[in-house]
Amino acid sequence: MRGTTVITGADGYLGRRLAAALLTDGDDDLVLAVRAADGAELAAKQQRLDQLLGPQARDRTRVVAADLSRDDALADVDPRAVTRIVHAAAVTRFNVERDLARRVNVNGTARLRAFATRCENLQRLAMLSTLYAAGRRHGDVLEERFDDVGFVNHYEWSKWAAEEEVLDAAGDLPVSVLRLPTLIADDDSGQVTQYNAFHNTLKLFYYGLLSLLPGDGTTPLSLATAAFTTSAVTRLLDPAIASGIYHICPDPADTATLEELIDISFTVFERDPGFQRRGLMRPLPCDQDSFEDLLSAADLLRGGPINQSLSSVSPFAHQLYLPKTFRNDALRAAWPGYAAPDPIALAETTCIRLIETKWGRRTQETP
Amino acid sequence: MTDVFVDSFVYSLGERKIHVNETAAAGRLISSARDLESAGFRWHHVCEPTTSAYDLAKEVTGQLAESGRLGDVDAIVYATCLPLNGNAGDPAQWERTKDVKYLMDFPASRLQADFGLHKAVVIGLNQQACTAMLGSVRLAHALLQVEADWNRVLCVTADRFPEGAKYEQAYNLISDGAAACVVSRQQAAFRLVTAHQITNGGLGQAGDDETVGSYFAYTHRLVRETLERAGLAAADLDWVVTQNTNDKAWQILARLLGVGFEKVFFSSMPDVGHVISADNVVNLAELLATGRVRPGQRIALIMAGFGLNWQCLILEATEAVAAARD
Repeated sequence: MRGTTVITGADGYLGRRLAAALLTDGDDDLVLAVRAADGAELAAKQQRLDQLLGPQARDRTRVVAADLSRDDALADVDPRAVTRIVHAAAVTRFNVERDLARRVNVNGTARLRAFATRCENLQRLAMLSTLYAAGRRHGDVLEERFDDVGFVNHYEWSKWAAEEEVLDAAGDLPVSVLRLPTLIADDDSGQVTQYNAFHNTLKLFYYGLLSLLPGDGTTPLSLATAAFTTSAVTRLLDPAIASGIYHICPDPADTATLEELIDISFTVFERDPGFQRRGLMRPLPCDQDSFEDLLSAADLLRGGPINQSLSSVSPFAHQLYLPKTFRNDALRAAWPGYAAPDPIALAETTCIRLIETKWGRRTQETP
Repeated sequence: MTDVFVDSFVYSLGERKIHVNETAAAGRLISSARDLESAGFRWHHVCEPTTSAYDLAKEVTGQLAESGRLGDVDAIVYATCLPLNGNAGDPAQWERTKDVKYLMDFPASRLQADFGLHKAVVIGLNQQACTAMLGSVRLAHALLQVEADWNRVLCVTADRFPEGAKYEQAYNLISDGAAACVVSRQQAAFRLVTAHQITNGGLGQAGDDETVGSYFAYTHRLVRETLERAGLAAADLDWVVTQNTNDKAWQILARLLGVGFEKVFFSSMPDVGHVISADNVVNLAELLATGRVRPGQRIALIMAGFGLNWQCLILEATEAVAAARD
């Protein structure tokens, strides 16, 4: 039966890919909820989505303004028609301030849950979260509800708190929490259109601005592409698949360690003539106290690129001292035969593209 | 290989002692005074407009002469961080006459004449930046290995920033200053165990942040390789005498190297800032003055500079170290 899927954050990095995938692989109508301060911004976002999704999407999509900081955020959407909701709207910066993280990620999710309770035909409420809602845990991390064990940044905390908002309603609503890995490329080509702590850290190394490596080299890092993640989320939206908590990530055995990722990154860097000329050394692993000292020292280098880049990297770097392995048994059961990208190959192609584009400063093709 | 010894560490600073706040107010810093203070800097020393780098070199050489430690010198290795300090001539004369001899008024030659060191030959060293003092000791050591009839080499470094310059480089508060020491075959306060240098010309035009960024990996490598050359381990070092830079830097490096931070010595930093290539001598002189250096102890002197260059000496205190303190 043809239903209606609401996607919040539909113009975001993952939101727009999910919209495209659902248009291709399903027959639902889509309500694309975007944040827009006024009619002009809404029209601009509508136009951008039209371009991205193609003219064939016009008959099946409706773009609505939805500011989840307001109680009437989805007032333009008829709840009776809604069969699925994908909550992709969030502030995803690791260095987000606590108040902003609370307002957008936590309170926004609470408002969406309230809307979902009015959707009498709802078959799935899927919240996109992060593996790092696990916070300061280490060791094996199962696909289950987390206790509060502390967090290394406000982003992690806010996603955990947002999970709590929807999981509290799991008895009444068909809730799924989909915890995502670190997305380092759009797809297996290694093209990058959204930069995060992974890319910024490599940028510091490539440009010789950092020669210390924070973290325990054995720490596994779950990396994936937007394409893989989109496929997984699309699959898990199928009402035939049980609701629940899923880790969308490679199998533990196929997850590269920090040490392996640095090795492949520098192997790529060292093939670059410009990098060779500068004779930059591989970074020295450093303990947490030393990294804290480095951050403290870098705080005095105001206005310089080290300070700017480290400020985006440091809120995540503490996780590198908390080795954890994300189990994905539920994902594998729900998606037999799934194939996550090979992490080393993905890191290699991504590094090649990062050098080619100089971290986005040189134009690359439109995604 | 002939044993070579080093001692007679002396230094001189620009006459005007200025607080970092005053320099900031005068617009002669890049960072804020608060940031430099947080990094451990307080005061620095600036030459009067009429004082030249050569005047500073004369001052330190004069200290050696007056105390009877200059002696019969076979060579002078005269090091400058800034190449322009390798010319003691009057730039106005060059501008007026366009005669390049005014660009070749070598301070080492002047020093030889002014102190009557007629036997000494002179060697200029001006492309090792802040590492040049350590480089001059290394060079003196090498010369004494091959010049069989040489006994003593005077190493001098002297720099002042040009008028109007910012007194900050790579986030360090700079002082004008000079230092000297004597390298000889005769037993003296320290035996030179080994010397080592790394140059990475690929970073020759590195910006301040690249200089800072490469500091840890290269300094770590420098010390590791120096220890390997000497057949020593980090635990064999009793003291690490560093350049005056952000005080967090050596807290980090000490951990990475496995050296207790209590062995790291850069006590002069709040009072003098980064005295270009004289930092190690200033700090070593202060360490000696504490009376804590005992015969048999090993001291690493470590410096990074533009070029980019990194240099390290390992010295071993002899029985004569007590006399050097006095």
